[in-house]
Amino acid sequence: MAVEKTSTWRTIALYVGLTLAAVVVLFPFFWMVVTAFKQPGTAFSPEIFPSAPTLDNFKRVLGDFGFGRYFVNSVIVATTAAAFATLFASLAGYVFAKKQFFMRDRLFGFLLLSLMIPGMMYVVPQFAIITKLGWMNTYKAMIIPHLANVFGLFLMRQYMMTIPSELIEAAEIDGASERQVFTTVMVPLSIPIIATLFLLTFQFHWNNFLWQLIVTNVERLYTVPVGLAMFKSAHEELYTLKMAGSCISILPIAVLFFFAQRYFIEGMTMGAVKE
Amino acid sequence: MSKSTAMALILLVVGLMVWGCGGGDDTTGTLTIWQTYNDEEHPVFKEMVARFEESHPGVTIEVVRLPFAGAEPKIQTALTTRTEPDIARVDVSFLPKLASKNALLALDEYVPAEYRADIFPVALQSCMYDGQLYGIPDQTNGLCLFYNRAMFRAAGLDPDTPPATWDELIEFGQRLTDKDEGVFGIGLTNSLWWSLPFFYTYGADLLSDDLMHCTLDSPEAVEAFQLKVDMFAEYGIEGGAWRAGGITGDVGFQNGRYAMILNGPWAVESLKRTGIDFGVGHIPAGPAGSHTNVGGNDLVVFRSTDKPELAAEFLMFVANEENQRNWALTLGQIPVNTKAMDAITSEEHPYLSTFVEQMQTAIPRPPTPFYPEIENLFIPEMQAALDGTKSVEDAMRTAVGEVDKLLAGE
Repeated sequence: MAVEKTSTWRTIALYVGLTLAAVVVLFPFFWMVVTAFKQPGTAFSPEIFPSAPTLDNFKRVLGDFGFGRYFVNSVIVATTAAAFATLFASLAGYVFAKKQFFMRDRLFGFLLLSLMIPGMMYVVPQFAIITKLGWMNTYKAMIIPHLANVFGLFLMRQYMMTIPSELIEAAEIDGASERQVFTTVMVPLSIPIIATLFLLTFQFHWNNFLWQLIVTNVERLYTVPVGLAMFKSAHEELYTLKMAGSCISILPIAVLFFFAQRYFIEGMTMGAVKE
Repeated sequence: MSKSTAMALILLVVGLMVWGCGGGDDTTGTLTIWQTYNDEEHPVFKEMVARFEESHPGVTIEVVRLPFAGAEPKIQTALTTRTEPDIARVDVSFLPKLASKNALLALDEYVPAEYRADIFPVALQSCMYDGQLYGIPDQTNGLCLFYNRAMFRAAGLDPDTPPATWDELIEFGQRLTDKDEGVFGIGLTNSLWWSLPFFYTYGADLLSDDLMHCTLDSPEAVEAFQLKVDMFAEYGIEGGAWRAGGITGDVGFQNGRYAMILNGPWAVESLKRTGIDFGVGHIPAGPAGSHTNVGGNDLVVFRSTDKPELAAEFLMFVANEENQRNWALTLGQIPVNTKAMDAITSEEHPYLSTFVEQMQTAIPRPPTPFYPEIENLFIPEMQAALDGTKSVEDAMRTAVGEVDKLLAGE
């Protein structure tokens, strides 16, 4: 009995704690949604729920502010970039994990070194290359510079190293070509980490602000974060509109997480430890 | 060859050179402008651009709208690769930085003195760097005292008489403060820019005239900041709006927590929409009178432009009397052209006319390229003085020491 009692108390304490934590974590989202329905200029009024809820913010964001266009741009950029970055990282990860070649580990170490350079350092040289290529104001400029993702390569390699080489040998004995080994053995076994990497890169590109702003000079190519920044001027911030825009902007990430969270959590823990 | 033929030839050659340099393409073609106007201003600006194009056949103006927050890094990145536009709209604090890096075209030869005489002097001064003109202001603003008339009435104060001096402000503040209810006389922001009215009303300067030394450790400056500290610590009329996690001035004013705040003309329209009964008064006077600081934006031309005359003409167009009158009336902002100032009457624009009056005694920031850095050095020291971990004298001396090191290039 006594044992059972403590465990009940523990469960209760645990749930109370988790509920409190959930409230803390979810409050900003709650505020975002509620504010999106408030009248302009009343974002900080004391009432929690708007006394006169309105859809105007959403209408204006999608209408006058052209958020639909920004949204489409963001989807194009983030999806393409995440798909290719994940593809390249998994191909390279496979080679670095399972193939022997001259200076392999040194080369890998050298690539890792580039992770130590702060991302901001790349902005100016990359921008210089983009302008030399005449790629200003194109989707290419927003996507291509980020396709070689060393962090992704690292994640893939570490994970693929845990896949037993015997499986590859078995497939080869059965007559599998190099490509078949990759597509029928490596990829299916790496799905959790591939999903994780896709999600992380998608999120990175979805949130990327400065680069997308720097390489575009036309509003029709602006992405969601650039559009959101428009609501802040020197002294004022149009919170109700910004929150309506934010509600729209979190949709894809929320949907992706919802469907991929099983892989994602699995991937995070599995990639973390390498035996 | 006779002398006169040689002379004619020389004249011809020189003439061709001059014609080749100055004429031809300069008055037609495309000008690109990067601007950061907000949502209300953008359409008005576009309309202005359309009228300029109409009156200048063959000229196209490509307008790129940037978010305010990303404009400076974008301009800096573009400058490294020479892909900057012809014209940009920049914050007044960014102009000296660009000018000091030799990125801007000096406009002295393009902007006639008669034209300059019409521009509001305080705003024009924000375009000067090293004695040269590097831009035309397109927007200028300063701070005034906003006060909640309903709260004044409830405290038995005259809702038409905001405090005229700091002493009065403290007296009024004590009557307006109700600590148990969480209601305070005033809410103040902690930053150098937001503290400048305190310094200026005590006669303290930010930098020495040669811009090489910070002078905010003067007795006047210490006294001025002591006042700000005392409002919180001694008199208890300031609600700690400057604290991390504190209720900011804007929010507290809207919710009736703070009866007074300092704010700029940009806040008028959104406050009107909330339905609060509020008034605007001048910055309370100190020993040196009532002075606001100055903010705003300037239009600048980059040195790389191939159409300097046309670009300068566009700048002068934006700030001309007609456009400024229209801008002020449509958007309720302070015109930068003095000829358009009469558009703001106290009957029709009771709030804005107070700002226009206040701007007459405004004091612009010194034209140092290091203003943002100076601001960052002062904020933590001011914070320490406000929360009582340092004396004002100590905090000011430390900050001034840091700033002097920065200015000396150490």
